[in-house]
Amino acid sequence: MQKLSISERLGLVNYRNQGRSQATPHILVDTSICNSVCPHKCTTYVCPANCYTLDDEGHVHFQFEDCIECGTCLYACDQGAVTWRFPDPETGRGVNWSLG
Amino acid sequence: MDEKFDCIIVGGGIAGLSAAMILARANVRFLLIERGEFCGAKNVSGGVLWGRDLARLVPEYHEEDGFERFVNHRRLTFMDAQSAFTIDFKSSHFDAPPYSGVTVLRARFDAWLAEKVQAAIDASDVADESFLATNILVEEVLMEDGRAVGIRAGEEKFYADVVLLAEGVNNLLTRQVGLQADYVPADYVAVGVKEVIGFDRNVLEDRFQLRGRSGLTNEFVGYASGGVEGGGFLYTNTESVSLGLVLGMKDLREKGRKPYDLLNEFKAHPVVADMIRGGEVLEYSAHVVSVGDLRGMPREVYADGVLIAGEAAGLLLNAGRAIQGMDYAMRSGILAAETVIAARERGDFSAATLKNYRTALENSYVMKDLRTFQDAVHLLHSPMMFGPVPELICDFGRQFFTVDSAPTPRAGQMLRAAIKRHASYWDLIKLGIKAARAL
Repeated sequence: MQKLSISERLGLVNYRNQGRSQATPHILVDTSICNSVCPHKCTTYVCPANCYTLDDEGHVHFQFEDCIECGTCLYACDQGAVTWRFPDPETGRGVNWSLG
Repeated sequence: MDEKFDCIIVGGGIAGLSAAMILARANVRFLLIERGEFCGAKNVSGGVLWGRDLARLVPEYHEEDGFERFVNHRRLTFMDAQSAFTIDFKSSHFDAPPYSGVTVLRARFDAWLAEKVQAAIDASDVADESFLATNILVEEVLMEDGRAVGIRAGEEKFYADVVLLAEGVNNLLTRQVGLQADYVPADYVAVGVKEVIGFDRNVLEDRFQLRGRSGLTNEFVGYASGGVEGGGFLYTNTESVSLGLVLGMKDLREKGRKPYDLLNEFKAHPVVADMIRGGEVLEYSAHVVSVGDLRGMPREVYADGVLIAGEAAGLLLNAGRAIQGMDYAMRSGILAAETVIAARERGDFSAATLKNYRTALENSYVMKDLRTFQDAVHLLHSPMMFGPVPELICDFGRQFFTVDSAPTPRAGQMLRAAIKRHASYWDLIKLGIKAARAL
């Protein structure tokens, strides 16, 4: 049985407005908090969709496009950096499960 | 829309749809709002719906294709890196409907249940006045003089005598109306990651000893979760298995592990690898799940003009016997709807009347089980249960089943040796006392 990388796994996920480049983000992350006071930067490893990444300098970056609305960062971030909403059906990206 | 509904239900998952079914049958005018393209589009679960309430909502359900398989075979597996020691129970006692458990895939099951609700609406006296509305995100619960009077979605406002929040574990509206703190700590939630792995139906049925629509559930503790608090599961669907892990959020954060890496390690375990060999991953999904700790639940499940049902109310329990949540969602949705019907007859939707929902929930198996098994919840989340205990069980198993043409010690000796290698008697006595109290 093949082991899948996270990008291969996310390749199996369908999103709304998949083709739209200007989708509105539903999660806002104040990465200045991640990069100054946060002792663990845990979103960069606990997020099941790898939306939070670390660059070579150890700075946290967030991109919402692959978000599957699981809510993990809503609880994992205890530093107040994450403002969490559900995506707007019209303008957001948002996951569309086929099996769920 | 100027007209006012009797009830607005937020969320087209199992709790919301179950409530809707009861309301439709009682000719109550309601609006159910779901943010997904269809009911189920946003929903993920491990995959077993327990209990017999589904037969109450849809008596002919077992003849239909809403669910995947009925459960007549259960396994609980303790794992170390190489071994699996399994308690296995299969019985034809479970073969007849209404089944005590069915496996489901939520995007299919919820959509199917929504069709049944629509049929109930169509058959009701208020067929033109009740609606299932999808593709709409509820952003706000409208309040007047401290009581909920409706909801806002974008520019649109909808009013009702009572709002039922069945919005799931990420209960932003429940927080907004003040029934839960804005920030829920990681201690009270876990994250589930899952792959649905497709098989040729004959291969699946041969491999897992399935016949017709019979199904297997298998839970795993120990190596499965890579030393992180939690466990694994494998549930058989019609032509696939749902394979996943549920990982304690706080422990995951502290151990610095990635959930999808842990899932790969679980899949690579020799025993699991043999179970899923030749399968094709069809979908990867993840979702937060509450852990059933009463301390993580909303302060209350009702307020003036508002009720909370399903996982939005934290109604989920893993006491070691089964992971239950969808059945609680179903029962709480039913009880909430019955409360709405009674409140409507009385013409009073204040907290004083809606309090009856709390009483009904407390008198149901939902809150009774949650309260009875709180100690079990805490026990299952203790490090002994996902580390040393599965390891010593596997160690004992390996000694017990080894035949190597040498004098064999008695089983008791093997067990004592295994305990010595992984824990102490004192640890086990403490655990035993806890377990005896918990169960």
